[in-house]
Amino acid sequence: MKNKVLIGICIAIFLIGVIGSALVLFAPHGTKVNIVQDGAVLYTFDLSVTEDQTLEIEYNGRTNIVQIENGKIRVVEADCPDKTCIRMGWLETGSLPIVCLPNHLSIEFADEREDLDAVIK
Amino acid sequence: MKRGILTVILFCFIVSCAACADDNGNTLDEATSEFFAMNTYISVTVYGKDADNTVKSARDRITELERLWSVTDENSEIYAVNHSDGKMITVSEDTAELIAFALRMAERTNGALEPTIYPVLRAWGFTTGENRVPQESEIKELLNMVGYDKVRQNGNEIQILNNMMLDLGAVGKGYAGDEIAELLKENGITSALIDLGGNIQLLGTKPDGSNWRIGLKDPEGAGNVGILSVSDCAIVTSGNYERYFTASDGTVYGHIIDPVTGYPVNNDLLSVTVIAKEGKICDALSTSLFVMGVQKAEAHWRQYQDFDMILITKSGEIHITEGIKDNFSLDVNHGNMKVGVIEV
Amino acid sequence: MNVKKLAELSILTGIALIIFVVELQIPNPFPIPGIKLGLANIITVYALYHYRAKEVMTMVFIRIFLASVLGGNMMAFIYSFFGSVFCLTGMLLLKRFIDEKHLWIASVFGAVLHNMGQITAAIFIMGTGVIVYLPFLLVSGCIAGAFTGWIAQIAVHRIKGNDAKQK
Repeated sequence: MKNKVLIGICIAIFLIGVIGSALVLFAPHGTKVNIVQDGAVLYTFDLSVTEDQTLEIEYNGRTNIVQIENGKIRVVEADCPDKTCIRMGWLETGSLPIVCLPNHLSIEFADEREDLDAVIK
Repeated sequence: MKRGILTVILFCFIVSCAACADDNGNTLDEATSEFFAMNTYISVTVYGKDADNTVKSARDRITELERLWSVTDENSEIYAVNHSDGKMITVSEDTAELIAFALRMAERTNGALEPTIYPVLRAWGFTTGENRVPQESEIKELLNMVGYDKVRQNGNEIQILNNMMLDLGAVGKGYAGDEIAELLKENGITSALIDLGGNIQLLGTKPDGSNWRIGLKDPEGAGNVGILSVSDCAIVTSGNYERYFTASDGTVYGHIIDPVTGYPVNNDLLSVTVIAKEGKICDALSTSLFVMGVQKAEAHWRQYQDFDMILITKSGEIHITEGIKDNFSLDVNHGNMKVGVIEV
Repeated sequence: MNVKKLAELSILTGIALIIFVVELQIPNPFPIPGIKLGLANIITVYALYHYRAKEVMTMVFIRIFLASVLGGNMMAFIYSFFGSVFCLTGMLLLKRFIDEKHLWIASVFGAVLHNMGQITAAIFIMGTGVIVYLPFLLVSGCIAGAFTGWIAQIAVHRIKGNDAKQK
């Protein structure tokens, strides 16, 4: 009896994981992107109007090279041990950022509602 | 029985998930008022209970302050002081406080902030829009009527020399911003954005608890140099890029006058942005630090450290004080600008 | 702690490290940090049912420290440490309810808790944004936990059989 309850909980966790994954993978997104390091936004821009370019982002002597091309963004080079960020490819979904854990870097779509509140002139 | 327990467990999970999703529902009122006052476009956005009425009283307060401080309105207190022929004039509490603050800041900045520069500004035509380049002799003569140290203040009594003129334009909007923020706070508002023609005053965070995102306009082109993500502070930028004219010989003259030379400021700076708790400090410092130039401005910050600033230089550099550097993100289209941190 | 036990725990730690190094060679097909089989946890699950709580904890912490050194990634230590604290706490509590024949259930909870610990560490280091990995880690934790638990169950069965033969 106890085991059945525990197995039930396992199944529930699994299902929540599956539903959550689907929600994350198919989350809508806009075109505004933030590049964040250690919680601070380094760059912020609109992919739809940003020219093709590569950015070098440094962290404690290590670098990630970020490429922007045809309104898409990805990490092309990283001298971190795991290279997960490169394997993540182009930034595709609204809620799954490209992350480089060792270099404390994350590239994510910004909340489209999070437009500017005002402009200092 | 087994299935029952399973169903209950699943149900609990789903309900708790749904509850989380609903948690950030927003029950605050929002009210915005936009109007023209103090020679600029003002917008006040307030979140909270009774937002509508609070916004109205904010607007009334700004109009009231404008009536006291207008240089051109014949019924204003400043007008009375400027046309007193050297006599002592009694002014209201608000005006006396603002004049005292302006004089204090003039002293702090060694006269880089000059509340009596108005006659020179007028000679250049910046007060009317009919710009001209005055003769050197004319400027010299006008500078004789300039000097914050010649203003006498005793409580609510103000006395200036004949022909001198007080202009609180460089601190008035900042002071008004502080007043509005205070008024909103007294009315129980915890979240508001006050935009006084590009002078920003922020009360608290956004209603959802996140920082306000404020663009920093590119002084030389379209778009923003970057974005400041901040809360509960005031932000003011000064530069000669907003109001300027080009003389017949092609020289560009901006509206911020160096009180020492009587000519528009022409140094290594494009703009100065000051971030501090109080709008009046931001307003006074942004103008005076712009007059000072990069080196003196950085020295001034090191001496006082009661504010943060972002300097944009003509050579395309951004100098940013360490206290605000984590709140600033560069726009990617301005990635070629060099960012340097000003440290103690 | 007698010498026999010390030797056994050392051997178990050694086996876990070998499994860890072998698993390092398998490339992660998923571009999500934290997803892995975690085969070394077979040893943890096994040890949990055969040694005292203190002994298992010592063994696990020594293992993750050495594993980080061998893997050359000290950041991984912080994640593994948080993961292991969550995992061990949960499994030590669950041990009271789950008998050895249902090891795999304990293992699933252990793996999921391990992932939650990692996410907690990541939230401290990277900010709350990483929470979006949680659903993927829940799925992978359930699968990997069930798999490692199943292998641990087989191991327990075989070892018991051997013990019986020797006696």
